Amino acid sequence: MTQAKLNGYSPHLRRSASLPSIPERSRPDRMTSKLAQRKKQRLLRHLEEAGIPVIQRQKSQQLACLSAGRRPRKKLPAIAIADLSKVFGKRGRQIVAVDHLSLVVEQGEVFGLLGPNGAGKTTLLDLLSGLLAPDAGEIRILGFDMRKNIREIRERLGTVPQETALYDELSAYANMAFHADLYGVPGKEKEERIARLLDLVQLSERKDARVGTFSGGMKRRLAIARALLHHPQIVYLDEPTLGVDVQARSAIWKYIRDLRTQGKTILLTTNYLEEAQALCDRLAIIDHGKLIAVDTPDHLRQTYGGRVISFEIETNPEHQALDLDALHALPGVTEVRLVGNTLTVVTQGEHNHLAAIVSVLSSQCEIKDIALRESNLDEVFLQLTGTALRD
Amino acid sequence: MLSSSVFQGFKTRTRRVVKRRSLWRSTRMFFTIFWACTCKDSKSALSERATLLQTISLPVNYLIMLSLFVLSASNAPTAVVLQDQGPYAQAFVRAMSEAHAFRLFMMPAPEADAQLYQGTLVAVVTIPPTFDKALSHHQPIQIAVQINNVNEDLTNDVQRGLGLAVTTFYAHTFPHQVSIVSQERDAYPQDTDYLPYLALSISVISLMVSGMLQAGMAMAREWETGTIKELLLAPISSWPMLGGKLFGSFLIALPAVIVVLSVIIFLVGDWPANFLMVIGVSLLTLLVFVAAGLALGMGLKDRATLTTITRAISVPLFFVSGVFEVISFQTGAAQAIARAFPVHYAIVLEQYAFKHFMSDTLPIDADALILVGYIIAFVGLASLTMKGRGIAQRSSGGKR
Repeated sequence: MTQAKLNGYSPHLRRSASLPSIPERSRPDRMTSKLAQRKKQRLLRHLEEAGIPVIQRQKSQQLACLSAGRRPRKKLPAIAIADLSKVFGKRGRQIVAVDHLSLVVEQGEVFGLLGPNGAGKTTLLDLLSGLLAPDAGEIRILGFDMRKNIREIRERLGTVPQETALYDELSAYANMAFHADLYGVPGKEKEERIARLLDLVQLSERKDARVGTFSGGMKRRLAIARALLHHPQIVYLDEPTLGVDVQARSAIWKYIRDLRTQGKTILLTTNYLEEAQALCDRLAIIDHGKLIAVDTPDHLRQTYGGRVISFEIETNPEHQALDLDALHALPGVTEVRLVGNTLTVVTQGEHNHLAAIVSVLSSQCEIKDIALRESNLDEVFLQLTGTALRD
Repeated sequence: MLSSSVFQGFKTRTRRVVKRRSLWRSTRMFFTIFWACTCKDSKSALSERATLLQTISLPVNYLIMLSLFVLSASNAPTAVVLQDQGPYAQAFVRAMSEAHAFRLFMMPAPEADAQLYQGTLVAVVTIPPTFDKALSHHQPIQIAVQINNVNEDLTNDVQRGLGLAVTTFYAHTFPHQVSIVSQERDAYPQDTDYLPYLALSISVISLMVSGMLQAGMAMAREWETGTIKELLLAPISSWPMLGGKLFGSFLIALPAVIVVLSVIIFLVGDWPANFLMVIGVSLLTLLVFVAAGLALGMGLKDRATLTTITRAISVPLFFVSGVFEVISFQTGAAQAIARAFPVHYAIVLEQYAFKHFMSDTLPIDADALILVGYIIAFVGLASLTMKGRGIAQRSSGGKR
């Protein structure tokens, strides 16, 4: 059954009818009660064609086609933050780590918190895992209130802190077993889960070795495996590839992508733009504890970055110096930089400004080469915060 | 900003999902976590051999150090220049040795003078050549006493000791001339020497240092290495976790109890009046200070500071807890100060277990209950500190 055939019915009904799996049992629901008889009959026919079992209530002729007796509902946001603030220090020497921040992360998303060191990313993660109490604002994780249901939240969270928080003096297996006990993993499943996860992060052969002998990348992989041991719905990764080599980084990226395919929600902090670009469905740019922008990496680039046009030029000695102000004055031009013989012009907006720029430039110098590209996240960050990411 | 309608939905969901755990599941979880923390801490401690060695060796060091202090301070080294070899003169020297104030050395006058000058003697007592003769003729005798009065306490010891020696001499040699005689009735069947008496107090301090170091290091290490996050992020109550850590450190510090008791029983010669009670009191004492270490480690979050503080507070606590004298003999202020610290109650219990001494005005059961109260208070304090103190300040190294 296609969605097109169900147009005109209620959104609930459309979602129910498009369920991919055949429900085991169904129960009547009121969702079809307001449908006209003719529409109801047509819907019934469509549902039968799709092989979806339907129960029809005799009296009201309500239809139901629900999965496992439950009405499909809109998934709750994985993380919802409203007006969150956290201040460190005493009066007179206060540092605002998180400044009235509001954010929603949907389930199944890989969401990145991007910002330079000291932007407030780790504090935000600590607030979201209940390690710190906010000074103001509200946090809900999978619908649970952080203030009231911290235990329920923690059961559903897997966290990989920046410092990995592994016991160096214990073996990899002992670290995993300790975590399993803390999170109440049943004894029967413990061995199997540990073996499977150590296998996943390719540490099975080193399971009895002391973690203190591991490299940074191995520790990071082990920390990820440990965080997944209790089957969390949400995984926090604080700078997951900080200080690891290229090979370890690509392995960690692979695990994160695998987690996304398993439907887990991932919140990661990073100050690597390429990492944010490669992994994240959406990004929040944070600076000085404030949320600067939230969007997909592509959309952020389009919205805030614009196009970067590089000209290789040769100035005519008979002419005067290049008039950069004339370029600045053109509509859509946001930035003009001249370094040696390379002139970089950044433009924004939907319109193509190339022709106008070339026209102005050709009257002042000879254009040897033109290169056009979309701006990268670093430039977006610079545009939004006024500082480069690694400052 | 989130709209209020979004939160409305969340609240409905929250009410539906949150269920109370069954008592059985909660109890099982409690013991699983308790045992996991015990095993983990024990493994961690055993992997740190230097800390382990310190936990066992420090109590013995304290025993030796404080015993030496007691030995050195107990009797004044005194030279006797015996210029008369008669029986009365010999009897007077015997009376001096019974005064419990002198360590007597017989030597000629020049050597005695030299040693007094060098500072190795507190006093030189010269028995004149006419001692016996003068005594026989009931003539007055002047015994020359040179005193190195660098320490007034020792000077007083010498003065008291000599007076006692004269009385003892007369009581033994001319009993008919001494009409006042004291009749002693002891509260305990046998006297206890100063060192065996003090060794019991020293054992408490030794267990204190051992327990506090072991538990404090285990707790502070969690903060230093950032592994506290693993514990703080777990969906558990702090009680089983702290209980497990308490028991783990207790197990690791147990050899210290064995060593300390062995030294006291076999080297010092304090044979327990009630062996089982001695073991019980020693274990209770260790548990109190393990709990104290847990709270201190949780508060300080730093192993170096913890070691320094543990060592620094042990000696003052030793002195304020009624160590050198029975606390009930002391002034009200001294008793009030002593009773503020668990060391005092542990010393009282240890003295009772070893010698059946009653050195406090409280009943023994009350002392034991107070120690149990201290355990609960220290663990509670650790739990409150754990909940109350944000970890970003330390674990994240000030990073935001």
